[in-house]
Amino acid sequence: MIIMLLVLPLLSALLMLLWPRVAPLLALFSASSSSLLALQLLVQVTEHGSRSWLLAGWPSGLAIAWQADTLSCLLILLTTVLQLLVGFYAFATRNRDKLSQGFWPLSSLLQVSLTALWLSRDLFNLYVCLELLGLVAVALVSLSGRSAMKPALNYLLLSLFGSLCYLLGVVLLYGRYGLLDIAGLASQWQADWLSNSALLLMSLGLMLKAALWPLHAWLPAAHAAAPAPVSALLSALVVKGPLFILSLLWLQLASVQQAQAIAPLFAAAGLAALLFGGWSALRTPFAKNLVAYSTVAQLGYVTLALGLMLKFDQPLIFAALWLFVLAHALAKAACFLAVGEMSATLGGKRLTTLKGASQTMPLAMFAFAVAGGSLIGLPPSGGFVAKWALLQGLWLQGELLFWPLALVLATLLSAAYVFRVVVVAFDRADPVSPDFSPQLIPQWLALLPALAVWAMALFSETLMQLLRLEAL
Amino acid sequence: MTELSGSLLLFLITAASLVAAGVYGFIIGPEPLRRILALNIISAGIFMLMVVLAYRGYDGEATADPVLQALVLTGLVVAVSATAFGLTLLARLKPSSSEISAPEEPEQ
Repeated sequence: MIIMLLVLPLLSALLMLLWPRVAPLLALFSASSSSLLALQLLVQVTEHGSRSWLLAGWPSGLAIAWQADTLSCLLILLTTVLQLLVGFYAFATRNRDKLSQGFWPLSSLLQVSLTALWLSRDLFNLYVCLELLGLVAVALVSLSGRSAMKPALNYLLLSLFGSLCYLLGVVLLYGRYGLLDIAGLASQWQADWLSNSALLLMSLGLMLKAALWPLHAWLPAAHAAAPAPVSALLSALVVKGPLFILSLLWLQLASVQQAQAIAPLFAAAGLAALLFGGWSALRTPFAKNLVAYSTVAQLGYVTLALGLMLKFDQPLIFAALWLFVLAHALAKAACFLAVGEMSATLGGKRLTTLKGASQTMPLAMFAFAVAGGSLIGLPPSGGFVAKWALLQGLWLQGELLFWPLALVLATLLSAAYVFRVVVVAFDRADPVSPDFSPQLIPQWLALLPALAVWAMALFSETLMQLLRLEAL
Repeated sequence: MTELSGSLLLFLITAASLVAAGVYGFIIGPEPLRRILALNIISAGIFMLMVVLAYRGYDGEATADPVLQALVLTGLVVAVSATAFGLTLLARLKPSSSEISAPEEPEQ
C-alpha cells in the first residue's frame, strides 16, 4: 500500500506525458486515490504504531530506511488532499487561465517527491528527494511564461546551492560514521567539531531551501511569479519539506549540548522572520507578494517553535510546531487560490485592484478573510490551536514574559497585513468592476481549505495527542 | 593509510579548494551562467571528496567503499540534469531580456 502511494502518482505522471489530453482526469484520479490510501495509512499507523521498511531487502546499514509514523502520515495526507484540491481548482479554471499542459505531470511528480521525503529516514535519500522537489518546484514556477523565468532561475540557483551545502554535510557525516540512516547515526553520534560543522552546513542549505529568515529573499519573487495553483502548492507544501529534514536533524541527531547551543539562534531567526516578513507584507503594493511575505512571516512561527523545542524539549511545543505547519498549509492554499481568483477576475496584480471585492466577489473575499483569521490566530482556528499549544508549552516551562509578548507582537503584525486586504475589499464606494462575471466553483474551492483550517480546531485534541506521542 | 596519507591529503585539499573556489564564484558572480558553472565546480569538489573518502587501503587488489561510489553516480546524474535544466531556463531568459524595448506580445 505504501508503494502504491508512490507508484500511482509516478505512473500517472508518465502516462500524462504520453496522453496529454487525459492528463487532468488522470491527475485527479491519482490524487483522489492517493488521498484515500493516505487516510488508510494514517488510520493503520495510529492503531498499530509506526512502521519502518528497509528498501529492497538489503541489511540494515546498507538499505535505505523508511518510516511511517503518525507525523509522516499526517503530512502525506495533507499533501495528497491539497494536491487534489489544487487539481480541482486548476481543472475548473483551465479554459480561462490557459495553464500549461506541463502542470499536470509536474504536480504529480511534486506529490511523489514530497511523499518520499516525508517517509525517508536516510540522509542521502532525503537529498535526492530534496533535489527532485526543488527541480519540480522551479519547473512549476516557470510555467507562468517569460516573466517568471528570472525568478525561476534565481530560485533554481539558490535551491541547488542549498542542496549542495546539505550534500557536503551528508558526505562529511558518512566519512566519519560510515552510515546514512538517521537512527543508526543517532546511536553513534558524538558531538565533535566534525559533526558540528556537518550539522551547520546541512542547516544552512536547508534554511536556504525553506526560505527561513535571513535566507528568504528569493521566496516572494518566486511564489508571486507562479500561477495561482502553483503558488498555493509551493507555499503550502514545498517549503515544508526542507523544514521537516531540519527538524529531523536537530531533534533526532544532534546531541543535547548541540541542540541547546543552536536553540537561541533558531528562536531569534524565527522572531526576526515574524517581524520583518510581517513588515514587508504591510508595505508591498502587490496582492500576491503580500501573501508570499506572509509565508515568510508564518515560517517564522515554525522556526521559533523549533528553537523553543530544542531549548525546552517540551512535547507541547513539538505539537505546536507541526500544528503551525498544518494550519499554515491549509490557510495559505486558501489565500493564494482566493487572491489568484480575484486577480484573474478583476484584472490586476496590485492590491488596489481588490477594491470593493467584498461586493463583486464576496465568496473569494470571504475565503481570504477566513484563512487570514487562521494566519492571525483567531480562536477557534487551526492557527489559534497551534499558538495556544506553543503558549501552553512556554507556560509550563515558566517562560511568562518575553516569548509570550513577542508572540502577541507578531500576532498584531499579521492582523495588520490581513486587515490591509480586508479594508481595501470593503471600500465599496467605487469598486473595481470584474472583467467577466465571477466563476463560482473556483471560489468555493478556495473556501474549502479555509473552512478546513477552522475545522482543525474540532479535531485539535486528537491532533495534539497524535503529535505529542511523536515527540517522545 | 599511513604510506598514502600524503597524497590523500593532497586530494582532500584539492577537493576543499574546488568547493571554496565554487562558493566564491557563486557568491561573487551576478551572471547566471557564471553561477551555474560555480555550482558545477562545487559539485565536482564534493564528488572528489566522496571518491577520496571511499578509499579503503590497498591489499593486493583495489578495494573501495561501494556505497560512496554509488552515491557519486547518483549525485552526478542529479548534477547533470540540474545543470541542463538551469541552462534551458537561461536560454529562455536571454531572448526575453534583449527584447525589452519590443512591444509585448499579446497574452492570449
